[in-house]
Order: sequence, then structure tokens, then C-alpha cells
Amino acid sequence: MNYFVKGNPDLCIGCRTCMIGCVVAHEGTKIFQMKPGEYVFNPKLDVVKTATITIPVQCKHCENPACMNACPVKAIEVVDNTVIIAQDKCIGCKTCMIACPYGAIDMVKASDGGKQQDGSDRIIANKCDLCNGIEGGPACVRVCPTASLKLITEEAVETSASNKRTAAAISLSQVKE
Amino acid sequence: MSMGVPEIEDAKLLFIFGYNGADSHPIVARRIVKAKQKGAKLIVVDPRITESARIADMHLQLKGGSNMALVQAMANVIIAEGLADQKFIEDHTNGYEEYKEFVKKYTPEYAEPICHVPAEQIREAARAYAKAESSMILYGMGVCQFAQAVDVVKGLASLALLTGNFGGPNMGIGPVRGQNNVQGACDMGALPNCYSGYQSVTDDAVREKFEKAWGVKLSNKVGIPLTHVPHRVLEEKDEKKKIHAYYIFGEDPAQSDPDLNEIRETLEKLDFVVMQDIFMNKTGLQADVILPSTAWGEHDGIYSACDRGFARIRKAIEPKGDVKTDWEIISLISTAMGYPMHYNNTKEIWDEMRSLTPSFFGATYEKLEALGSIQWPCRDESMEDKGTPYLFTGGKFSHPDGRGKFFATEWRPPCEVESPEYPYSLSTVREVGHYSVRTMTGNCRALANLEDEPGWIQMSPEDCEKLNVKEGDLIKVYSKRGSLITRVLPTERVRPGATYMTYQWWIGACNELTTPYLDPVSNTPESKYCAINLEKIDDQAWAEQYVKDSYESIRKNMGIDTAKKEV
Repeated sequence: MNYFVKGNPDLCIGCRTCMIGCVVAHEGTKIFQMKPGEYVFNPKLDVVKTATITIPVQCKHCENPACMNACPVKAIEVVDNTVIIAQDKCIGCKTCMIACPYGAIDMVKASDGGKQQDGSDRIIANKCDLCNGIEGGPACVRVCPTASLKLITEEAVETSASNKRTAAAISLSQVKE
Repeated sequence: MSMGVPEIEDAKLLFIFGYNGADSHPIVARRIVKAKQKGAKLIVVDPRITESARIADMHLQLKGGSNMALVQAMANVIIAEGLADQKFIEDHTNGYEEYKEFVKKYTPEYAEPICHVPAEQIREAARAYAKAESSMILYGMGVCQFAQAVDVVKGLASLALLTGNFGGPNMGIGPVRGQNNVQGACDMGALPNCYSGYQSVTDDAVREKFEKAWGVKLSNKVGIPLTHVPHRVLEEKDEKKKIHAYYIFGEDPAQSDPDLNEIRETLEKLDFVVMQDIFMNKTGLQADVILPSTAWGEHDGIYSACDRGFARIRKAIEPKGDVKTDWEIISLISTAMGYPMHYNNTKEIWDEMRSLTPSFFGATYEKLEALGSIQWPCRDESMEDKGTPYLFTGGKFSHPDGRGKFFATEWRPPCEVESPEYPYSLSTVREVGHYSVRTMTGNCRALANLEDEPGWIQMSPEDCEKLNVKEGDLIKVYSKRGSLITRVLPTERVRPGATYMTYQWWIGACNELTTPYLDPVSNTPESKYCAINLEKIDDQAWAEQYVKDSYESIRKNMGIDTAKKEV
């Protein structure tokens, strides 16, 4: 099963620390030393606020990813229970962005400073990679001040389902025939 | 605050009034979320759907400027339905009969058309507040930044008196102070009417004590509040009473004060302006002398949290460049002006302050080191006195007779209300990330990447439709006093007719629009209400260029790196 980060809107206070944490995790502290305009700022999640909900929205890492199926150059693959865009393969065609039912993909300037042949900025698809290869796991989960974000793994789903089954068994036993 | 911040988590009911913790103090908001998780009931009074309102059990979405009517309608219900704590009232308060008589008129039906909150909802909120085992009030600038502010504070305190919500843990009333260490500034006597520990400047015994310690004659007159400065510069005829020089530190009145036109004129007319701060700001542009000082990570000291808790801050890095700490600068200025002043470290200053302030005397550096934080009053140096987590233990209050005093008065509308010419109301608010006047955060790249000039005006989707504007459009906003350009942010979280802007932006500076009307007691301006109008800009490309050029020009004038920056 692919993993994903799940948010709890009852705990989220909309502070966007997760967005900053995401950028720092992926770009490193070098962004603090570079000149403004020379680095890119690409959070891979976005805090959404409606009248009743506040929560960051990011990639669900679908089991049958529409983005992966739609990609014409096979730049999207599943690695370590995570749907990942290989940035070097991406041609910036935007098909995955349109295919994604969650709006979790946007198009950004490549953070490696790569250029097109004509010298213009390379634009590629950008989305959550669950901080693949980064120590400590997803930065958003680590930095959230209200612990409103959780990494959901197979084990977490199994534990949750098992707890629910136990609760169901208890409630059944309380029903008198 | 009468209670401590950690107690928020254990209150059985939180009554949050004009306080948006998630945007102004995320760390306090965390406690509110925790309280809710622990089963506390949440009642939020706010004209907007704030993060706390969103998760509240009850949200009273009142019309801005109607606070006093709502507070007294709640008192009316509590008394009328027999929910008042008669024993607490008899044992610990004065003035109940007059209070009861006064609030009779403020029935929920009387308040409904003023507050735009259904009478039945006011009743339900009053019942829940009165019946909870321990109810805690948290309030913020939504109470204080009105011309009727101190009255509402007293009105809220009266609700706590009425229901016996004082003197024990997890109850009471808490102004969650706006700025970092604003509590400390007040505690240390940076107010026109008191010395450290709220010792009055008009009290002869107090004055003589300070005169003896410092070896100088001191004035027995209350000083001039910050918000009276423009008047004393621009309109004062008596040369002796007129202000000629202004020494400003850690403050940016040319950004934070209402009616910026008037502030600029004031700074212009003054003979001499000194600005002491960590970065360049709008006030600095009009200063004659700039004294660069260290920032929070570059010096030692003590802060007071909003709950009276002193805590030490320690230097994390060596300051770079030609800067000094605030206390060193003050010592040098004082010495140059003929009063030699010298300290070797902040502990010496703290010990001198303690020796002159009985209510802080017990809060030694050593004890702060051992305990982490001490809430005043802390009168004894021994380790037994660990400070005071909550005030008024056992219902003993600060009035000379030890009894709490009820207060009621007529509701007054805001000073400038909507008119055919200016049909929208504007309230200044906070946003998470950028802090206060942006002196500290505006140059922080991560935060500027999330939000940058010219800022936003929050508007209801209905109003956006009426004006035919959409998210991100630049729009002209104007009042009787000034005008600006900012971006449209449609949000279901505000009501039609009401708009909201944060006050830190240099280009979208909402204080160009605000009114200089003050609360008569606190002298705090009515930042939460003025009348404005909005005008769609047809030539968006021109407006975008205008914003870009203005930003570059301000940065250039301030000497800030103008390297490529997208606006």
C-alpha cells in the first residue's frame, strides 16, 4: 500500500508552517544564503481555507495513480510506497496536473536551476514525495505545531481497522437479543 | 491575564471574545485546540469565522463595534435566569444592585438589532458560560482597539464576577497581549503613568523612593500617551507644552498608528526625531538620527509573557556590524546628557529594578534559571515563593477593600460608521507569518515568499460579485483620510459589508485609512472600525506596475538590497 499524509481539520490552525517546512526540507538551508530571485520556493502542499475547513492539501499517493497513467514519458513511478515524479524526465506537458483529481500537482520552475535549450526556465510538475530519502520522514508532519498531520502507513491503517473491529465487537456484545 | 496560559487547556469552557489566536499567537492557539480535545466547550464571539470560531461549539458572529451590548445582554440573561453565583457576589463584590438595575434594559431582544446576533443564541451562550464548572475568558484586540474598549474589559470582568469565575485555577479573564513583551514593557513602567510594577508616578512615597535610588528629582505628573503625540505637535499653541523632539524605539508609528497622513505630518513638523530599531522602517525614513540596535537573538534579557510570567532570553549569536544593545544605547545617551549611567550586564539592571519593585522582588535571575518562568507577584527571594499562577486567590481582589467591583454603562457605536459615500466597514487584523509592522519579518525570505506586498483585503464573495472583482485583482480602497491599492481576497469567513486588512504592508498600508479616535481611558485608537469605499481598477497592468515600482522605490529609499524581486 502507498503511504500518505492525512490532516485533521479539527487541529489545524492554518499557520502554514508545513509549507515552509516542506520547502526547507527539499531545498536545504541554502535558500537562506542565496540572493532573492536566485532560488525557487515550491511548497508541495497548500493550506486551503473554506468557511468550515482549514487543512493542507497534498498528493494522496493513489494506488492507481491517474497522474502516472497519464504521463507520456513515464516520469512518474512508485518508489518505496510513494508516487514520485522524476524531475529530470518531466517534459512539463501538464497532463498529470490535469489528470489529478485532487489538484495536488502544480507546475513550477525547476529547483536545480535547469534551463531549456533556449535559455528560459525549465518548468516541471511538482507534488508531494513524502520527503523520500530525507531523514525523519515527511517534514510537514514533523513541524506541525498542533500535530494535525499524520503519516498513514499500511500498519497505521491495519491498526485503525483492527481497533474499529474491536469497538464493533464490543458494541455488538452490548446488544441484547 | 488573571490566569496562566497553560491553564487554558484545563478550562471547562473557553469564552473567546475578539481574539484570533491562530493568527496572532499560534502557540496560544495550540492550547485552545488542546482544550477542545480535552472536552472543553468553546464559545467564540467574532465578526469573522476565525480558526477558533470554525471549531467552536457556538460562534456568535456579531457586527463589529457592538461588544458592550452583547456583554451586557449576557449579564442580563445570567441574572434573569437565576444563574448568578449569589454567594460569590455577597462575599467578594460591590455594586451588584446597581449593576443588576442597569443591565435590565439589555435584554437579548434589545441587543439583537445592535449585535446582529439572534437573541436565542445570546441566551444559549450566557447559560453555557454561567453553568460550566470553570469558565475562562480570553480577549484580544477585538475588544481593546475600539473607542469603547476599557468599558468592555470591565464588562467582561463583571461576567466573571457574576458567575464566581475568579480565584481558582482554569478560570478568570485573560487579555492575550498583542505583541511580544508588550506585557513586559508595561510591567517595567514604559507607560506614562507608572514606574515598574504599576507604582503610580503621582504617589509621593513611590516617587521619593525612586528619587533616592537614582539621585535625581522626578516629575509627579502623568506623561503624554503615545497616541496624543500628533495633537501635541500639530495643534498645541503653548510652546512650553508643545513636543519638539521624539525618541522612538522598537516602534514604527509611521506604519502602526492610525491616520498615517497625520503621523507623517507630525514627524515632519518635529524639530528632531531619533529612531532606534533593528532594521529600517517607515518611521526611519523621516528620522534625523538612526541608532541601530541588536535583535532578539543577539542579546540577553527578560521578557514577560501575557500571563505575567517572566522568562530569561539568552544571546544566541554575536551581533554583526555597528550595533549595540538597547540598554547600552540608553546608558550612553543618558551619560552624554549629563546623568552617568553604567551597567555591566542585564542582571545588574534587573536587580536594581527588583529592589525598587516589591511585587517583582522575589523573581531573581537564579530563581528564573531554576524554575524557567515566574509569574508575578513574587515578593520573596526565598525558593518558597514561586510566584502566582492565578490572581485573586479565594476571591480577594486588588481594590483597597479586597472586593471586586461590578461595572455597566451604555453601549456606544463606533466613532465613524458606514455612510452612502463610504458604505463598507474596515477592521485591521493580523495574519500568521508576518508580525506586527513587518520590521522583523518583512525581510525574512521564507515568510515573504508566502506573503508579500501589497497584501490583501478580505471581502465577502457577495461584495466581490457586486464590484465585479476576483481573487488577486488589485483594487483601490479609500476613506476620508487616504487611499491605497491592495489585492482582493474573497472569503466566506467575513460578512457582506465588512472588510479586513492586515496593517503591516508598506504599499497596502491600511492605516492610511483608519481613524485617530481613541478610547478615553486607555488612549488606544479605534483600529477595528472605520468607513471605507472600494473602487475596481480597470487597468490591472498599470496597477501591477504601480505596486512593483512603489515597492522598489521604498526598498531603495530604505537601502534594502533591491536585487531582482518579484512582486
